[in-house]
Order: sequence, then C-alpha cells, then structure tokens
Amino acid sequence: MLNLGRQIAKVCGRTTRRELLRAGGIAAAGLSLADLLRLEARGEAETSKKAKSVILLWLWGGPSHLDTFDMKPKAPADYRGPYAPVPTRIPGIQICELFPLLAARADKYSILRSLHHTSNDHGIGGTIGLTGSDSGAISLSGQVLSGQVKATHGSVVSRVLGFSPEMPRFVTMGGTLHQGKRSIAGEGAGPLGALYDPFRLDYDVQQGVKIPSLDLIDGNSASGLASREGLRKQMDALTRDLESSPAAERLDKFYQQALSLLTAPNARRVFDLAEEPEKLRRAYGKFRFGQCCLMARRLVQAGVRFVQVNWSSHVEPVEDTGDGGWDMHDRNFQQMQDRHAWMLDQSLSALLDDLESHGLLDETVVIAMGEFGRTPKINGKAGRDHWNNCFSALVAGGGLKQGIVVGESDARGEHPASRPVTPADLFRTVLHQLGIGTTQLTTAGLPLQGEVIEELV
Amino acid sequence: MRRLVLLLILLTTPTLAQQPTAARLTTDGHLKQRPVWSPDGKSLLFTRHQGATIFLFVLTPEDKTERRLTMGKDPEFDAVYSPDGKRIAFSYDKSSPNQGDIDVNTCLADGTDIKTVAGTEGKLSHEEWPSWSPDGQWIAYSSTKDDNQEIYIVKSDGSEKKRLTTEVAIDAHPAWSPDGKKIAFSTSRWGDLELAVMNVDGSDLVRLTKSAGMDDYPCWSPDGKRLAFTSNRDGNLEIYTMDPDGQNPRNETQNPAIDNFASWTKDGRLTFVSNREEGFDIYVMPAR
Repeated sequence: MLNLGRQIAKVCGRTTRRELLRAGGIAAAGLSLADLLRLEARGEAETSKKAKSVILLWLWGGPSHLDTFDMKPKAPADYRGPYAPVPTRIPGIQICELFPLLAARADKYSILRSLHHTSNDHGIGGTIGLTGSDSGAISLSGQVLSGQVKATHGSVVSRVLGFSPEMPRFVTMGGTLHQGKRSIAGEGAGPLGALYDPFRLDYDVQQGVKIPSLDLIDGNSASGLASREGLRKQMDALTRDLESSPAAERLDKFYQQALSLLTAPNARRVFDLAEEPEKLRRAYGKFRFGQCCLMARRLVQAGVRFVQVNWSSHVEPVEDTGDGGWDMHDRNFQQMQDRHAWMLDQSLSALLDDLESHGLLDETVVIAMGEFGRTPKINGKAGRDHWNNCFSALVAGGGLKQGIVVGESDARGEHPASRPVTPADLFRTVLHQLGIGTTQLTTAGLPLQGEVIEELV
Repeated sequence: MRRLVLLLILLTTPTLAQQPTAARLTTDGHLKQRPVWSPDGKSLLFTRHQGATIFLFVLTPEDKTERRLTMGKDPEFDAVYSPDGKRIAFSYDKSSPNQGDIDVNTCLADGTDIKTVAGTEGKLSHEEWPSWSPDGQWIAYSSTKDDNQEIYIVKSDGSEKKRLTTEVAIDAHPAWSPDGKKIAFSTSRWGDLELAVMNVDGSDLVRLTKSAGMDDYPCWSPDGKRLAFTSNRDGNLEIYTMDPDGQNPRNETQNPAIDNFASWTKDGRLTFVSNREEGFDIYVMPAR
C-alpha cells in the first residue's frame, strides 16, 4: 500500500480510504445508492471536462468596473471618469483605453458585466468571491458571519482530484489576504482539512521565487534539506504521539511535498523562471505580478490544477502602507494609469498569448476578478469606494466561449440590467468545465453552489 | 543578393541614425515616477516604488551616488525643486487610518526642515503634484479639499490659497510656465484626459489637445517653447512634445515600451521613465 496521506490508494485489493470517504460523503449528503446512480448518470451529461486547469488572477481590493471592462462614456463626468473606451478586436465590444493589449485580444476572452453579491466589505466579499458563500466570513470590524466557512475553489478542485505528494494540485502565488491587519476567511480548504490548503509560492523581484511553506524549516536550501530530513525524522520519533494529531500530519505532508519539490530535479525546475526566454519574461513584465503569471503558466504546464495569483496581500495601495492592492478610495485614476492598468494589461495579455502558444489555453480557464467593483460615482477624493452591486470579470480559455459579453449593467454601472450572476455561478461554471459536476461534488461531500452560466459553456 | 542587402542597409541606416539615443540613468528596474532635475542640472530627484514603499531619492549622476531625500516612514512622492534649487515640494501621505490624507510639503534640498504648505482642512483630502511658479513664491497643485479634484495655487509658505478650476470632471497635474503667466494641466472635462492651459488666475482656459487617447503630465521646456507630455494616442504610452498652443505634436520616444513622466534637463533634453530595457528606469535623450 502506498500511503498518500489521508487518501490511501487501492494497490492491495482492499477497500481504500478514498472509497470510505466517498461513502461517508454520500451518507452525509443523505443520498441512497439509487440517488448516487442517478446523480452519476446525470453527471455524465452535466459536465463537459473541457478544461484541466484554472488560473485565477485575484485582483484583491476590487478593481473599478467602470475603469476596466464596463465603461460608461455617456454617464455624467462624475461617474464615467477620465478615460475613454476603445474598440476591441470584437466589433461592438469596448473596454478602457488603459488596456490596449487586452483590447487587441478580445477574441480570447469573454467579459461578465453583471456580477453581484451581498457585501461591500473586503473580508466578506473576499470570502464570497473565493468560496461562493459568505458563511464564516469575517468583516472589517471582526464580526464573524454565521455558518462554517466553505472551502475555497482551489481546495475544492484539489479535494475532488485528490492530494498529490509530488506536485500540489492547488498553488497560491502570494501571501495570505488581508483586510487591514485581519486575515480573511475562505482562502483555504476549511472543512476539507488542511491537506487541501493551497501550497504557497511567491515571487520577489530581488529574491526570485519564494516558498513560504519552507519557512517552517531552517536553512531551506535544496541540498541542506536532504540531510535535515534525517535529523527531523529522528526528532519526529520522539514526538510520534503528537504527530498523530491532524495538524501535525498535515505539516508532515506539506513538508514531504516541499521536500519533494525542492529535491526532485524535474519538479524543482518548475520554479526556475530563468529557464524561460528573457523576451518572454519581459513580455509578462518584470514586476511581481507579471512573473507570478509566468510562474502560473509553468505550474499549469507541470500539472498543477488550480493556481491562484494574488495581486497583493493587502487591499490597500502603497500610499496607504499596503502592498499595492486595488482598493482605490483615493487616487483611483493615478494608480490606474500609472501602475495597475498597464500591469494587468501586460501580464494578462502575455499569459493568454503564452498559454495559447503552449497549447494550454483551450484546457486552462483564466479568470481575472476582484471581490467587488467600485462605486460608479467618483467620491470626493478622486477615488471610487466599494461596490458589490455590480462588477465585472474577465474569463478566458478552458473551452469557455470567447469574444462575448455576458450580462449588462445599467446606464451608470450601478446594477445589473440583465442576466445577473454571482461569483458562485462563475465558479460553478469553472467546475463544470473541469468536469466537476453534481456527482463529484456530492460524493466528495461538497456543497452545490451557484448555477452554470450557460452562455459561457 | 549581397548588393540588395547592402542597399537595404544603406536605405535603413539614415532612419536608424535619426533615432535619438536614450541614456539610461538608473538600473535597478523598480517602478519610478516623476524624475526632475535640480536647476543646476547636477541632481536628479525621483520617486521609487520598492516593495510596499514609495519614497523620494536623489541621484547625482556625476559621482553615481544616490540617497533617500528624507528618512520619513510614510509615503512621499512626486517631488520637484524650487526654481532656486534650495527647497523641494512633494506629496506626503500620512499612513493609515487616514487613507487619502495627502499633503503638499516642502523641505530643504537636503531633506530637512519639512513644512506642510497645503494640507487637510476639515475632511480628509489629497493635495498633490506640486509645481513651483518661476519666482518661487507660489506652488500649483491639485486638491480634493472641495470634493472634486481641482487645481489650486498656494503661497510657498502656505499662507494663502486660491482655487483656479471649478469643473465636475477631474483636473490634475498642473505645470507652471517658465514665464510665470500660464498653468498647463490635464482635465477630463471633454471626455478622456486632455491638456489645457489657463492664466494663473484661472481665466482664459484653452484646450490644447484633442486626441483619441489620454494626454497627461504636461511639463514645460526651460525656454517655454515646447510642452512635453504623456499620451497613448498611438496605442501605448509615449512621450510627446508640442507647441504651447497645442500645435505640432511630435512623438518623441516612438518605442513599444511604456514611456511616462516627462521632464526637461536644463539644456532642453527630455527625461522620462521607461521599461524599454530591464524593469522601469530613468532615461534622458535629446528631443527630436
């Protein structure tokens, strides 16, 4: 028997832990065998399995939909802002002039213009965006909403596909997401257990690729780890009883995974961006987000199924002691034109091109979105505040329809005018493209959230 | 075939020779903004983003030394020398929880003697992008103190303020002309960002650009005969120049990279930020 953590593969003809868990999930969902068979039969039809992987560009802080993908040039000046729409490659679709590279690639993506949800708090909105639900979300004031926080989308994918000791299923590029000094809920596996938490990487312009998971280990060089493993195992023998706790078991799995990644030559090469042509690295942009997008392509190419690239850890801009998030209550337009817009334009365009040139775009869903949009009316600080009532997302690849707009907002971008959809709907659609439908979710004991956006599939 | 190649080389060489060579002044690649020269042309003052910080730095190209302007911990950016080079005006952002509380401060050229000349009055507001009058008596800047972002001027000791624009659209980035009579600025009153010029009392506002793209960050040449600015009218951000009446616009950089934040050297060359090589650095090149 090959021990793969909590999932024990069936190699000796016995009932596997996976099967037991699966049965448990069915029972927990209150389903009979007949129910399961019906679900499985339905599942064949309801999922498409056009995609293998997902790259989520998480624009933390909330980009303005009016200054990106849903412009309102006919709105009053104190709504429309200082930018003009430009035509894209698709007749009739216009986006902001600050995104010329994306405008030239509009045949490679679609735009959702009618996203909405229930909270204008970063913490709650973030939880909704990353889990599809506000259960267990934590507000700016520290209030915890009722219900248990649900697993984030990457963890759901990881859970359905199963833990992999060689290569993580789910990687997050960037640190934990914060609102102020408070971490948000819903970035991890939640009730699925820490084994399905994201494996974290990051990129620093000066230091290159960083693996925060290895901060658990002193002197985390690849050569040093091998010898340290022996030392650690001796220490582990002394604390074996403690290691039987779920938290310690999870640490061990993560340690093994990290060690495997750093010591296995093929896996380690994934992290070496220097292998990429300099021209390509520059096309992505030699700033953190750009290089993280490049790393996302390499990870997907190596078999990672869900990569989340966090634009920043904090919602706040650097002018407010953050690390450059999209929370532009003031100086919205300066930040857009001086930094955020062209960075996103360059990196996302390069990612789409690069995925396509590697033959990966058709099997990789790419999403760029934040936890909400921003107020259509410009505030008294040349900024825009939080707006959850209507916002946009860009979706590409993975067999999704491209070159279309789904949903409309009203004349000032304040509310959906047609086809309102939620983050839960969007990620149900993503799961559908991955071939994860009702059967897979139910048998894994996962909640069914949202509806597939049929216009996209 | 060889003759054809030679002919092609001969035909293309004059064109290449006309491309001004841009000299790279920094090499760290971090994002930068608003590089400006001291009046004596010896020091280059600029804003650098590094990690989660945004601070002011002074580069002395002659001896290749660089220092931070102040030792402050809060964000400081978009600085400019006074005409006599003795003081510097800059935007200063008090850190959280006062999000959006930005002041225009001045300090001595060595970074000491910091004074607020345009700050918060009642509600949080941001005052930024200072530009000195040629006599050093006034500073033009933008402010949201009356809600919408407008252009104001303030005495350089902070003793007197005047509001110059009253428009529901965004007005930003004032640039005081070398003769002291005009202030150029960017505005979205006609749609997307265009450049305009007005008298220093706000009268006689004239539109300078009418392009399909965004025009921003005007900066007068030392002799007042050209205005440099950033425009994306050709698809990506380039440095343009034009006559003070908006005529004869010229794409100076003509580079597929991002070129932004133009200013002038004492002898009339252009200085700007570009990512044409590795990361974002400061370049200087002659105007065409």
